[in-house]
Amino acid sequence: MKHLLKKIAMLAVAGGIAASAQASPEADREAFQNFYKNRFASVPMEEYPNGVYSIDPVGRENWEAIEEFPPYEPFIDEGQAMWEKPFANGKTYKDCFADGPAIAGIYPLWDKKNGMVITLPLALNKCREANGEKPLKYKKGSINDILSYIAYESRGQKTNVIIPKDDPRALAAYEKGKKFYYTRRGQLNFSCANCHLQNAGMNIRADRLGPALGHTTHFPVYRSKWGTVGTLHRRVTGCNKQVRAKPFKAQGEQYRNLEYFLTYMSNGLELNGPGARK
Amino acid sequence: MQNKMIGYVMILAMLLFGGLSTVQAADGAKATNPEAAKVEKMIADADKARKKAASVEGEWRDVGKMLKKAKAALAKGDYKTAKKLAAKAKSQGEMGYKQAVAQKDLKMPSYLKY
Amino acid sequence: MTISTKLLGIASAGVLLAGQLALAPVASASGPSMVEEGKNIAFTRKKGNCLACHVMAGGKAAGNIAPPLGAMQSRFKSKAELKAQIADATVKNPETSMPPFGRHKILSDAEIDKVVEFVWSL
Repeated sequence: MKHLLKKIAMLAVAGGIAASAQASPEADREAFQNFYKNRFASVPMEEYPNGVYSIDPVGRENWEAIEEFPPYEPFIDEGQAMWEKPFANGKTYKDCFADGPAIAGIYPLWDKKNGMVITLPLALNKCREANGEKPLKYKKGSINDILSYIAYESRGQKTNVIIPKDDPRALAAYEKGKKFYYTRRGQLNFSCANCHLQNAGMNIRADRLGPALGHTTHFPVYRSKWGTVGTLHRRVTGCNKQVRAKPFKAQGEQYRNLEYFLTYMSNGLELNGPGARK
Repeated sequence: MQNKMIGYVMILAMLLFGGLSTVQAADGAKATNPEAAKVEKMIADADKARKKAASVEGEWRDVGKMLKKAKAALAKGDYKTAKKLAAKAKSQGEMGYKQAVAQKDLKMPSYLKY
Repeated sequence: MTISTKLLGIASAGVLLAGQLALAPVASASGPSMVEEGKNIAFTRKKGNCLACHVMAGGKAAGNIAPPLGAMQSRFKSKAELKAQIADATVKNPETSMPPFGRHKILSDAEIDKVVEFVWSL
């Protein structure tokens, strides 16, 4: 009898774990956002798009000073010129993106036809290739100009990632991204969550670890460390390298699914890119 | 004496053929030196371990670099360095595989409350 | 703290630890240098980088992710237990953020022994 009770208890525990490992995206997002609400009780939800500066008053002062003369401004201007300049065939980006340039809010999105997550950089390159132009590189270079322009024009839109219910592959992609987020990697054995969830708000050496909530709202980002604007996938590449894991390909399946999951976690937060960071 | 000859041939080959020379020197060394063959096998095994880790998305950052360096050391005839690097790369390949496989099933952290 | 008082401290710790010397035979003669070497490894970013997370006496710009390291001899029963924690902290706590310095060979066994000597002295 005792044995049976123990077994039932064990099953219940296992059931509990399974429940959160396979929870619905909405339940995931609630748990995710509640974690930060509990940890940083005085920080309103609208602050999280400001990243680490939502929880680091000292860093925030410097950041606010930087934002008075935004270092990403020239990139926005360059991007606008790119947006308006016709391709060799006479067409422009506008022919691909009728609602453009303020289109950041709909990405990343699930592409049912191709069965994959489409991010904004990927969509931009698809447009270029369809018009006979060379694709842009996904981490550095002029892709950041046009991304800066689109991000700027999209400011104020709300993160609203949709996982369509009519295609189970969309949920599977989300689940893969979620798995990636919580998996320890590299010789140093860190998951994304170790630093940006579990230890958010703590200092690693003299640097404060930023919350994951809001991580996706402000890309592309001008990083003082880079001295230029870079993409989200460039930043994630850096994270993976820091834990001594081999990074994956920018815009490859792993990072696209990760972006799908991570952006979903910030659903409801305002887009405020391009951003400026240390 | 024979070693000296090989050395001269290597230098000459390097001068004459540039990039090609390393490959030829390594091949030459392999033919005459069982040690070189052994190191080559170690590097190949390490590369297998690296690929196995990559197949489960568990490859570590420096394994590829170590193997490159090991190959360069082998080409120069520095077997000691090449062996050390190959062994380290293999061990890191195995650890990366193990790490990924141990987390095959997603386990949500307890600090997230559902 | 001057070097001489540090040495004194280490020497007296050595006396106190006489009972455990059987476990760590190298402690008395080569102890001080082991401690110094361990400190170097612990503070170096590409080695232990313990300061990334732990406040430790003598270290600058330390993080606060993990508990400050002090009074170690009241927190760990033996050097062996401390070594096990450094080698793989996930054994005691699967959710720890601490890298498994031994299991993943981030440090060599000899390096971990030195770090243990240093941390034990805190």
